[in-house]
Amino acid sequence: MIESIVSYGLAVGAVYALIGITYNLMFSASRVFSFTSGMLGMLGGVLGSLFITKFGLPVVVGLVLVLVCGAAIGVITEIVTVRPVLKSLEQHLYVLSTLAFALMVQQLVAIEWGTDAQPFPRLIPIGPGWLDQQFWLPMLACAATIVGLEFLYRRTLIGRAFVAISEDSYAARALGLPEQGLRMASFALAGMVGMLAGFTGGEMLLAFFGNQPTLNFYGFVPVALGGMGSNRGAVIGGLALGLFQQAANFLVGGIFAAVAVFVVFIAILLIRPEGLAGAATTRRV
Amino acid sequence: MSTNLRVVTRRQVLAGSAVSAAALASGFPAPAIANSDPIKIGFLPALTGPSSSTGVGMNRGTELAVEEINAAGGVGGRKIELIVRDTQSDPTKAVNAVAELAQRQKAAVIWGPLNSGEALAATPLIAREKVPMIHPCWVDQLIDVKKYPMAFRNAPTNQQIGAAANHYVMDVLKLKKVAVVSDTTGYGTASVDAYVPMLTAKGAEVVFSGHIDAANPDLKPDMLRMRSAGAEVIMPWSVNAGFLARILNTRGAMGWDVPVVGQTTLGSGQTKALLEKPDYWDKVYSNNFRNVCFNKDGKLPARAQEFVERLRKSKLDMGDTLLWWIAVGYDAPRLMAETIKAAGSSPEQITGYWNQLKPWPGVYGDISFTPEQHNGFPDDQVIMCEVSSLRDGAFKLAPGYGA
Amino acid sequence: MAVTDPPMATRIANAGRQGRFEFALPWLALAVAGAGLPLLDDSYVGVIAQRACIYWILVAGLNLVVGFAGQIAIGWVALLTVGAYTTAVLTAGTVTSAWDPYLALAASGLIGAVFGGIVGLPALRLRTFYFAMTTLGFATIVTQVALAWKSVTGGGIGTPGPVFAWPFEPGWGFYYFCFGLAALATWMTANIAASRFGRALVAIRDAEVAAEASGIAKPRLLMTIFLFSGALAGIAGGLFSSLQSYITPDAFTFDLSVLFFIAILIGGRGSILGPLLGTVILTVLPELAAPLVAWSTFLYAALLLVIVLAVPGGIADLLDYRNRRPLKQHREIAPRTELLPQLLGEHRDKAAIVLSDIALNFGGVRAIDGLSLEIRSGEVHGLIGPNGSGKTTALNVISGYYAPSSGRLTLNGIDLPFKAPHRRAGYGIARTFQTPRLIGGASVIENVMIGGTYDGEGSFVEAMMGLPRHRRDEAHINAAAIRALETVGLGQLATVRADRLQHSELRFMEIARALMLRPKFLMLDEPAAGLSAEEIRRLGALIKAISRAGTGVLLVEHHADLIFDICDRVTVLNLGKMLAAGTPSEIRLHREVVVAYLGS
Repeated sequence: MIESIVSYGLAVGAVYALIGITYNLMFSASRVFSFTSGMLGMLGGVLGSLFITKFGLPVVVGLVLVLVCGAAIGVITEIVTVRPVLKSLEQHLYVLSTLAFALMVQQLVAIEWGTDAQPFPRLIPIGPGWLDQQFWLPMLACAATIVGLEFLYRRTLIGRAFVAISEDSYAARALGLPEQGLRMASFALAGMVGMLAGFTGGEMLLAFFGNQPTLNFYGFVPVALGGMGSNRGAVIGGLALGLFQQAANFLVGGIFAAVAVFVVFIAILLIRPEGLAGAATTRRV
Repeated sequence: MSTNLRVVTRRQVLAGSAVSAAALASGFPAPAIANSDPIKIGFLPALTGPSSSTGVGMNRGTELAVEEINAAGGVGGRKIELIVRDTQSDPTKAVNAVAELAQRQKAAVIWGPLNSGEALAATPLIAREKVPMIHPCWVDQLIDVKKYPMAFRNAPTNQQIGAAANHYVMDVLKLKKVAVVSDTTGYGTASVDAYVPMLTAKGAEVVFSGHIDAANPDLKPDMLRMRSAGAEVIMPWSVNAGFLARILNTRGAMGWDVPVVGQTTLGSGQTKALLEKPDYWDKVYSNNFRNVCFNKDGKLPARAQEFVERLRKSKLDMGDTLLWWIAVGYDAPRLMAETIKAAGSSPEQITGYWNQLKPWPGVYGDISFTPEQHNGFPDDQVIMCEVSSLRDGAFKLAPGYGA
Repeated sequence: MAVTDPPMATRIANAGRQGRFEFALPWLALAVAGAGLPLLDDSYVGVIAQRACIYWILVAGLNLVVGFAGQIAIGWVALLTVGAYTTAVLTAGTVTSAWDPYLALAASGLIGAVFGGIVGLPALRLRTFYFAMTTLGFATIVTQVALAWKSVTGGGIGTPGPVFAWPFEPGWGFYYFCFGLAALATWMTANIAASRFGRALVAIRDAEVAAEASGIAKPRLLMTIFLFSGALAGIAGGLFSSLQSYITPDAFTFDLSVLFFIAILIGGRGSILGPLLGTVILTVLPELAAPLVAWSTFLYAALLLVIVLAVPGGIADLLDYRNRRPLKQHREIAPRTELLPQLLGEHRDKAAIVLSDIALNFGGVRAIDGLSLEIRSGEVHGLIGPNGSGKTTALNVISGYYAPSSGRLTLNGIDLPFKAPHRRAGYGIARTFQTPRLIGGASVIENVMIGGTYDGEGSFVEAMMGLPRHRRDEAHINAAAIRALETVGLGQLATVRADRLQHSELRFMEIARALMLRPKFLMLDEPAAGLSAEEIRRLGALIKAISRAGTGVLLVEHHADLIFDICDRVTVLNLGKMLAAGTPSEIRLHREVVVAYLGS
């Protein structure tokens, strides 16, 4: 029982953490919380199943295609739902534009792909048991993403440009950094991370349109608790959430586990609205 | 003046009498009734949404039947117009659709809804609109001769289904410790609520009973709890192929060798497609219906065999659904057409005919109704089949099962 | 103003009367159409109409939360669920003895209010997106509980809904019941929208700091709205359970939440008619063509995207003809300071705000280091210094946004509380902001009336029912706002949308709003920024007149000329420390000031 909680909990927690990182990447670039994070995760599973199972492509090709789609969708998201809104005075409208876009895609998938969960292909023939690759693939993806992002931010010029834009976009623009291009690149990167989450988590979550609201919520919890923009917080929060959820599943059963997660989440936020690791809000006046 | 009275009188006579019925049957037009108009059958399947697998399957049979009837000239020269309204597995849409079918479309009769949750909401409204209806949902509360005198069921009730499954588990497999589980839909929860007392009354020990969210990807915790409670058999009740497949996959991954006895969807092509290993389908027994299963000699009953031939000819896909869904979808419009041909298309005529229905030979089942009993499916036609014996959409009877 | 222009009050009254007719026309049309619907004798239309009325009852309440208060409450179907089950379970008699349906409906309203409060609680502390997520979580939880609590709700099987007796029996009788309640809900929410509560909600949404500075307590107002909205949703739920005849958890889909939410945004925030039309359109849309049913949620989302990108103001914006009329091009702001005594009141006691040795740290930075100054009634006290010297910070301390690390802040010897900026209005302290805080979508006079919120005496319920005390409040606030606008010289722009004003006009508008509080002390944060030389001159005259009418003015400014022209005393800050303090002439000659700030 413990192995099941640990293996499944960490694995699904890694998926949540990756979705959290997706949120963070989009937030850092634009101060926008996008409802498309869960959508990207859902599409990772659906497109993966489409390419590998339905079209019969090899696993690696399928993965690459999925990532390319992720980048493309990320860029489309930025152009259609974020850029026009940031220009207007009513900045909070981004909540609505990203929500609308995410809903449209979800309904499209429901109608075209179907409302039943479809099988996701077995990626590597290792397992079953608690060392099954369906468990450690997401964790591997999560670790690789974190390492990759750290490398990007610290060692590459473009990564440091990302950091500059997120810290102080005015100053960055004054220095001549192309804010728009960098924002598009950030969204493309976020798209890829989101798709990766859904792809590596596909064997657990299946290719199912209903994953979108689930991932939206459970991917947001690590961000809310770990602090917006903090990837480390997202990973810790995601893994903790996965373990807590699995333990609750064992102890009280599925329905009440969801209630338990939610109640704890609300309680923490009410006590510390900025999250467990976040900074207090900036000057308003 | 006197002419009018005469016409009125004649109309009344024609409307009520056997003369009228004969006239319709032979296709001679009677003057006061416009009978080149199509016969409108309202159809309320859930073609999209979470509970759409039954709807999609039944829809295939229904459309085939309507095509065949119309190709053969319709009912006494009148074509059948099937007015389909997708309920999207949503009771609110079902209610809207009923209002449209009854009032706008003036449907003569309604077939559906096909899911219990929608039927629960739609039946009272259909009754208020005084439209005769047939539906195939299993939830017991849906039929009530007093509250809904025009509602009839052409499929078994939950009681009948549960009795057959429980009989197999206790009397054939001779197992006592049972885990009963369902998803969280109306149908699933109603089933568990009905079957647990039935099992206990029969002397079984229900060591585990519960409802699991079908979207939950990990069933290991619940299955481990079942095992540690000492369950000797798992009885799942759900129409969700993903959920059922996950139960079978988890059982296989755990290496837990217990039989699974439950809902017919255990045997659907969708469920099979979601299995991780083909042998996870072993030792799985589901409800099914005698008319569409292979008998001792490995043959389908004649009616079903002929039906399957016709399906193959019209290239109807059976691989991802269940034969009995297509069959019950096929039977309903045919029953309705025969009724209207024999008795007329007013509500009283239709329900009057149904209330006297002697076993009507459907592909799916031999349906009969009385004024006190609107559940039309016979007890002895509910049987258990062995799911892994799937061939051409049909199954063998389960081992140890009476002939 | 030209001699031929009729007096301001008459102009606004005339515009109002005309506006009232235009305003009344769509409502009359809807009322006639709704009342006459049974004549069609089409029960299908009846079912759809009942559904639209029920949804509108919920959306009318949600409109105040989303459209007016700007809270992104997406999971509102949770309250419909709670209301539906409450009525159904109570009338079914499974848990208690069977209740009368009307009483059960009232109970739904009560329980809906309670849950509305619970769902709304996070809004008081969380930011927009966070709150949106919590509402989604609530919707999931309520559905799960409905499924799990079999003994009460019937679990997945559900429970039968109530049947109301004649004259509201199922069919057209029930339709009239729903229509009547929908009309009532419309009337109540329209009353609130037109009241100071409605304006305050919009102020919280668009200009939160300005709302606080005007004395509006956000938590209390938001909680009231959530309770009210929850009650409406609960009643809508009870009616829903009757329409459905039988409710199961799968009837309460996320799609419904989407419908409610999008109807408001399509209709336009801050409007009642817009969301009503939006609700009707979205309810009817899927019925227009059978294939639309499957695509309905996709269409709703697409509509939302189009609205957000193209017409963020929604239908209400499209219908807003008045604000498309062109404005006069070269407008002058001509304050009429002789109206000040009437506006501010005649007999005013002397008072003083005293800062003693205030120090404020932000982390390691000492933003203010030992500031002492006095703002006295009848005087203009100037506060100048380079950027980053702590001027605005000092103003924010006095306004109550920041608590000093040490030092005292007193008003006539009483310590002022901190971290409670909305309480400053009660002390007679008003302010303006460095960047004008306005409600762009509201008219100028509505913006100014925000300043009158604090003085209102009528309660929320009285406003909701349009009772006399509330109407008296409104008349007073309206008259005071007109007077304030004429005082600052913006009278002729009263009915214009605020976001069409020039920057300088917005600055004067903020002063008008602040004057509504009849402040003992007025604090101005760089009011001359962006003004032309002539406008600065008139601003100076206005400020001076305000102080002479008995108000103590603190003027934070960059424009040295303005400071030296009108200030009685001046304090100079540099890097958080007081560099000099005294009369303007003293300051002008002060060597350090000259070097650090004015240049030689």
